[in-house]
Amino acid sequence: MSVGHVARVFEAAGIPTVVIAIATFAGRLAPMQIPRLLLTPFLMGRPLGAPHDGERQLDVLRLGLELLETAVAAPTVVHYPHSFRTLPT
Amino acid sequence: MDYESFSEFKNSFSYGSRSDLSFKFFKGLSDEETTVFIQTLFTKVVDAMDSGDWQPVAEHVIAGQKASYDKPASFAYDDAPFTPLPKPLNQLKLGLLTSSGHFVDGDDPRPFGQENMTQFEAMVRISDFLREAPTLSTIPMNTAPKKLRVRHGGYDIRGSAADPNVILPLAHLQSLAAAGVIGELAENAYSFVGAAAQTPLLKKSAPQWAEMIKQRGIEAMVLLPA
Repeated sequence: MSVGHVARVFEAAGIPTVVIAIATFAGRLAPMQIPRLLLTPFLMGRPLGAPHDGERQLDVLRLGLELLETAVAAPTVVHYPHSFRTLPT
Repeated sequence: MDYESFSEFKNSFSYGSRSDLSFKFFKGLSDEETTVFIQTLFTKVVDAMDSGDWQPVAEHVIAGQKASYDKPASFAYDDAPFTPLPKPLNQLKLGLLTSSGHFVDGDDPRPFGQENMTQFEAMVRISDFLREAPTLSTIPMNTAPKKLRVRHGGYDIRGSAADPNVILPLAHLQSLAAAGVIGELAENAYSFVGAAAQTPLLKKSAPQWAEMIKQRGIEAMVLLPA
């Protein structure tokens, strides 16, 4: 919940933010009224994707930046449309 | 050996004798839910060994975490503060802050005055972390991955240690800035241990961080919780 509080304080101080968090915490984050929130259906500790899955990590980050740029009101919540993927070894 | 009930067994993964931060979520499930989770996991593991497709195993563990953690918040607010982006992303200075617990090698935040605290020790002292205000670590944007360390008693750091970009995407931000998607990157990213006391974070730390960010001319922030 720490980052939710940071986002609220930053926005109130005039700094636009986007939070990219795992959807596991959706129920806890939604009542915090996070200004811009991108939720990913991923494993805890890996909000951008699996280790070494640079393609997926970058795609999530790009969507987060798009949300930062396009949201016109708070809270705006977006769900990342693809599931966590494991990489072939 | 003393008799151990199933309930004690499943709860031992949450800061107990079998502490495992990827499976501490058992504590938030009932005995029956945990039993079904474990039995289904075993089935999916053998399926994966036969097929080579571990995707269903990953999705099962994620679903287990969600079933346990996706509960109503301890914090709820009526208002939603909002600052519009002052200019297009390709013209502004962007920063990054995460609650991942990363720091640069040689710049240990020394929790409770202790240098080189291990991940295990941080896990054991989770209650102490939750009582303290967080310490912010400064991480230059161009830090090489091998120079990064991570320690956080609240989540399984194996993924973010193997590849910091899962939560501290320095490489990706640099490539987006080089491609002109982002106007300019802040000189530094920031990380702290998110398992921290919320009142001092809300009243003191976060307002101080906001002031510092504005003084450095950073115009928007990407925030990544663990």
